Amino acid sequence: MDHPTGTTGTGPPPVIATDALTKVYPGGVTALGGLTVTVAPGVTGLIGANGAGKSTLIKILLGLIEPTRGTAAVLGRDSVTEGERIRQLVGYMPEHDCLPPDVSATEFVTHMGRMSGIPKTAAKERAAEALRHVGLHEERYRQIGTYSTGMKQRVKLAQALAGDPRLLLLDEPTNGLDPAGRNAMLELIERVGAEFGIPIVVASHLLGEIERICDNIVAIEAGRLLRADSLDSFTTASQTLLIEVEEGTAQLLAELRRQGLAARPYQRALLVAVGAPATPAATPADAAAETADATFDAVRDCVAALGLPLSRVERRRHQVEEIFRDEDQEGQQGQQGDHAEAVNVR
Amino acid sequence: MSVETSPAGVIHDLGYRRYEGARLGRRQIVAALTGHSFRSAFGFGRGAKAKIVPAVVLAALCLPAAINAYIMSRGETRVVDYDTYIPVLRNLMMMVFVAVQAPELVSRDLRSRVLPLYFSRPIKAIDYPLAKFLGFTAACLVMLEVPLLLLYAGSIANVHGGAQVWAQTRALIAGLLVGLMWALVLAAVSLLLASLTGRRGFATGAVAIFFLLTYTLAEILLQVETNMAGGHPGPKGPPGTLSAAVPSLAEKVSGLFSPFTLFDGVRMWLGATDPGDNVPKVGTFGAVYALVLVALFAACLAGLAARYRKARLS
Repeated sequence: MDHPTGTTGTGPPPVIATDALTKVYPGGVTALGGLTVTVAPGVTGLIGANGAGKSTLIKILLGLIEPTRGTAAVLGRDSVTEGERIRQLVGYMPEHDCLPPDVSATEFVTHMGRMSGIPKTAAKERAAEALRHVGLHEERYRQIGTYSTGMKQRVKLAQALAGDPRLLLLDEPTNGLDPAGRNAMLELIERVGAEFGIPIVVASHLLGEIERICDNIVAIEAGRLLRADSLDSFTTASQTLLIEVEEGTAQLLAELRRQGLAARPYQRALLVAVGAPATPAATPADAAAETADATFDAVRDCVAALGLPLSRVERRRHQVEEIFRDEDQEGQQGQQGDHAEAVNVR
Repeated sequence: MSVETSPAGVIHDLGYRRYEGARLGRRQIVAALTGHSFRSAFGFGRGAKAKIVPAVVLAALCLPAAINAYIMSRGETRVVDYDTYIPVLRNLMMMVFVAVQAPELVSRDLRSRVLPLYFSRPIKAIDYPLAKFLGFTAACLVMLEVPLLLLYAGSIANVHGGAQVWAQTRALIAGLLVGLMWALVLAAVSLLLASLTGRRGFATGAVAIFFLLTYTLAEILLQVETNMAGGHPGPKGPPGTLSAAVPSLAEKVSGLFSPFTLFDGVRMWLGATDPGDNVPKVGTFGAVYALVLVALFAACLAGLAARYRKARLS
């Protein structure tokens, strides 16, 4: 992977480091309760249900509010004393709409670049480049009000890029997008993280959605750290495989079970736990990968042996969703049925 | 990292480029935002429709200066004063200007929820209203002072002799200072009112109603007091109304209720000429007019600062 600049990997301070970070709002609401977490470069998913404390954390990281206790540092700079410097280095993409409808994307992104401290001429150049990077070309001269939701999200990302950030904070970047739009947005974020070499923190309440672009996951719940780890350790031990055949589903189910795999019907398809279901979640990553391969082979062999018309094979991850017991998480992914299995894996 | 400097449009996959140049400090960013606000007060950066009101107002305000130049070119003396200009026209046009344009500066940002983007920039929360105020004050100054400068240009082109030019210049300076007072107060009041709502129509209504109502109220009071003083000269008048020469208490306070009559009151207090229209007879109350005006101005600025004190991200 080609990093444009060599700032990563030379032992810089962590992208984000918080220590016993606590925020109690007037009125006694504890938004953050002793959060200690370190975020490394790469794409990091900040996962939490609504009200978990994500917004409060972002505000503290940007130096907009002071923590009640504890400290937070962004790119090695203290959030309380060096807020302005942090805001110079961080590109922030808010969750909600934040674009004026009656100016062009070029004008708007240029203006926002200047607000980040880029001089006029350079801001114009950077705006054009940022908009090109997010995939807006000729349409960037049109008024933003005429854009689709997907294009608006891209403008929001472009305005965050305009100030040449050393860290991007993206708050629910796929909000309001249709599935195709979500995919496109996620690919774009992945590209920005990998090709531009900018560390990214993606806040989301939909883990299932952003997990595929994240190197690391930080999960918070009720203002506390639930878990912070690399994505692999989150998920490898708990993958499932969704298999759909056009006919002979029952036959395949029986065959898979005969092969010793934990298979069960799921809607019109079958779900197979990858690896031995009884294995504890603490299985080391490579061992898990080996058993995963064995499972894939077994499934392939079963389908081939029965000569069934295979229409779909999909890898799914569940453990990560399992870390939340929030109803809407389950509803979003349509996987209520996987609960029992995930608990079993634990 | 390959930095290519070819013109845009030729290269399709230029990699991401870092910005290595110097960055503007907080003050320069505020200056940039001030400039941006100034421009948007005239509709620059947006479509042609946004430029209609500022253009019409400026044209209407410049018209008397042009007419004056024409009249003076035919040998007459100056017919428009620098300090009062054409009172009714200027009051009305400035009301229209601030009522329509102040919401453009602040209500639009509230409506489109763009503020979090400003607050995530290396400035402080107070910088946003500060820049908006400075930018809008400058825009109001253009509306107020450009006609005066035209008036001046038209006048000195038609007078002869250093003494006359100097007289015009002195009158112009007084007029410019009055304009500055107008700009500061009108900008502060209208921005505060407009910042209360993100709906531009409501904001325009709020600003217009405030200025119209207070202006009408003050004008009615002035009219009534003037008539009463004029109709009952001497000691036989109602209690408190002594004579036209020494204004009554009611006459003295009736101009305190509107920014426009406050401007006039302060102007009179500072020794300006009375154009004979509905101008408050400030009498001994001159300093009160100045105090009330300063208090109004300060309260509006404080309100504006309080409105944006919390850097909210949603």
